[in-house]
Amino acid sequence: MTAAVKIPSSSKAARETLLSRAAKVPPAYFVFVILLVTLWLTRPQMININVMGTFIRQVAPLGILVLGQLLVMRVRSIDLSGAGVVLIINYVISSGILGDANAGLLVIVALAIGVSLGLVNGLLIGKRRASAVLVTLAVNTILVGVVQFLASGKPPGNVPDAFGDVYNVKYLSLPSPVIFWIVLTGVMAVFLSRFVFGRHVSSVGENPVAAHFSGVPVERTVIIAHTIAGLMAGIAGLVQTSSLGVGSIRFGADLPLEAVAATILGGVVFGRGDGGVWGPFFGVLSFALLFVVMTSFGVPDAGKLIARGLIIMLAATYYGLRTNS
Amino acid sequence: MIVTFRRLLTGQDSRQGLWFLPLTIGCLGFLWLLIGVDGFRNPQNLLNLITQAIPLLLVGLGQMLVILVGGLDLSVGSVVSLTTAILALDAPGYVLLPTVFLVAGLIGLINGLAITRLNVHPIIATLSMQIILRGITLILLPTAGGVIPEIVKQSVSGRLSVLWLAAAVFVGWKLIHGSRFGLHLFAIGGGVAADRQDTASKYGVADRRNVVLAYVLCSTFAAVAGVFLAGRIVSGDPNVGLLLEIDSITAVAIGGTQLTGGVGSLHGTIIGVVMMTLLANGMNLGNVSAFVQTIIKGSILLVIVALQSRKKIGL
Repeated sequence: MTAAVKIPSSSKAARETLLSRAAKVPPAYFVFVILLVTLWLTRPQMININVMGTFIRQVAPLGILVLGQLLVMRVRSIDLSGAGVVLIINYVISSGILGDANAGLLVIVALAIGVSLGLVNGLLIGKRRASAVLVTLAVNTILVGVVQFLASGKPPGNVPDAFGDVYNVKYLSLPSPVIFWIVLTGVMAVFLSRFVFGRHVSSVGENPVAAHFSGVPVERTVIIAHTIAGLMAGIAGLVQTSSLGVGSIRFGADLPLEAVAATILGGVVFGRGDGGVWGPFFGVLSFALLFVVMTSFGVPDAGKLIARGLIIMLAATYYGLRTNS
Repeated sequence: MIVTFRRLLTGQDSRQGLWFLPLTIGCLGFLWLLIGVDGFRNPQNLLNLITQAIPLLLVGLGQMLVILVGGLDLSVGSVVSLTTAILALDAPGYVLLPTVFLVAGLIGLINGLAITRLNVHPIIATLSMQIILRGITLILLPTAGGVIPEIVKQSVSGRLSVLWLAAAVFVGWKLIHGSRFGLHLFAIGGGVAADRQDTASKYGVADRRNVVLAYVLCSTFAAVAGVFLAGRIVSGDPNVGLLLEIDSITAVAIGGTQLTGGVGSLHGTIIGVVMMTLLANGMNLGNVSAFVQTIIKGSILLVIVALQSRKKIGL
C-alpha cells in the first residue's frame, strides 16, 4: 500500500527534477545549437575548423573578460571597467614607454596593472561599499581619458613581434588564443567548484546576509572576485593587443557591456548565486556564431545590433519567467 | 540641530542623500569661473550654459525617476538618437512630433513591463533595448543629416531655451516632490534598497504600475531632450545620444541620488547637471584638453561615489 503510493510520487518527483533541470540549462546552449544548425543547413562549407577557428579567435579576448565578469556578477556586483583596462594595457605595450623591455616583462606589467585596478575596484566596492556600477564606470572613464591624454589622440605605435608570433601559432589546427581561452575557462571552473573560494562566491551570491551570519567573509570575497576580474581583464588586454598587432586608442568601448550580455546569456543572473563557467563560454561562442551567420546572410550592421539585442532580451525573459513561476 | 547638520554633511540617514557637498564644490567652481576665467562672465556664455545643460537635465530627470525605484535606464541615449532620427524623416511636424512621443512611451512601456512582469533585471532589459534601438536608428538614418521640421527649430531658438529650463524644473519638481507619484517612488525604492521588495505594496502602494510609469516617463523625458537637441543641431544624428546614459547616471549620482533606490532629490540632480555643465564649459574656456576633461570628470564621480555611504555591497 505504502509502496504503491510511494512509487508514483517519487517518479513524479523525478520527472519534476528532470523538467526543472532542463529549464536550468542556460539559454546560451540553445542559441548555440540553433545557430550551428542554421549554419550547417545553409552554409555547410562554413563548418570547418579553420574557418570557425578564425572567427572564434576574434572573440577570445571577450571570452576571457567574461570569466571575470561572471565571477563579479555571481557576488552581486558588476565590472564595467574592462574597456579601460584593455585600452591602457594596449597603450603600455605598443607605445614603448617602458623602453626596450622584453615581452616577458611587458606581460608581467600588464597583469600587474589588471590586478591592481581590480583591487582598487574591489576595495571601493567591498570596503567603501560604493556602487559597483558607478565605481567601475568612473575607473573606466578615467582610464580612457588617461590613455587618450598620454597618446594625445594618436595611435601609439606597434606591438612587439613576439606577441603576434604567439598569437598566430596553431595546435591541432586550433589557434593558440582559443586554446588559451578554453584552458583558462577550465581552470576557472575547477577553481570555483573545488576550492573554498568558489563556495564563498555561491553563498554570497545566494544571500549576502545569510552568508555573513554563517561566517563567510563577504567583503573579502567581493574584493577577491574583483581582483580576479581585473586579472582577467589584464589577460584579455594582452590577447586583444596581440590580435591587433598595433597600438590603438579607439576600440573595445562595447566590450564590458558585451561581456555582461554574454554572461547573462550563459545563465548567470544578477542577484542570484547560480550560474556556471561553461554557460557564459557558450554565450560568447554564440555571439561569434551569430556574427558568422548574419554575415553569411549579408545582414547589415544595424540588423546585427537588433538581432543581438533581441537575443539578450529573450534570454533574460526566459530566466525571468522561470524565476516567477 | 546637530543631527540635521551631520545629515547634511554626510548624507547619512537622509532621504535626499549627499547633495550638500557637491553644492559646495559647484558653488566654489562657479565663483572661480566668474573671477578667474575671462570669457565666462559674458551673458552670451551664460545663455550657452543653459542651452548646454538642458538635454542633460531632461535626461537626468527621467533617469532619476527610475533610479529612485532602484532601477536604471541604459536606453535613454539611444532614445535621444532615435528621436532625432525620426524627426529628420521627410514628413510634416504635426505627424513626426506625436510619433516621437508615442515611440518613446512604447519603449518605456516595454522596458517597464519587462522589468516588472517578466522579472528581467533593469540593466539587462534596458541594455538590450539600447542595442536594439541603436540598430533601428541606423536603419532610419545611417549618417547625420536630414531636415528638421520648422516648428521644432523655432521652439528652441535663442532665449526660448530659458523657458525649456523652467518647464523642465517645474515638471521635475511636480513629479518628484509635488505629487503622490513621487512619494510612491520613494516608498518603492526604499523597500528595494532594504532588500524587501514588497514593502511598498504592503502599504497599499501599487508598485508595478508606478515602476512602469517611471520607465515610461524616463523615455519620454529622453524624447523631449531629443527634440531639443534636434532643434539645436538642425539635423538628425544617429550618434548624438552616445554615452548620454552614462553622463545622466553620473549627473544623478553626483547629486546624491543612490543607485540602490529610495534616496535622492530634485535639487541634487540639478546640482549634478549644473556641475557637469560648468565643468565642461569652464574647462573648454580654460583650454583644458578634452582628454584631461574626461579624466577629471571620472575622478569627481569616483570621489563622490566613494563618499556616499550605503549599507549594501554591490550594484
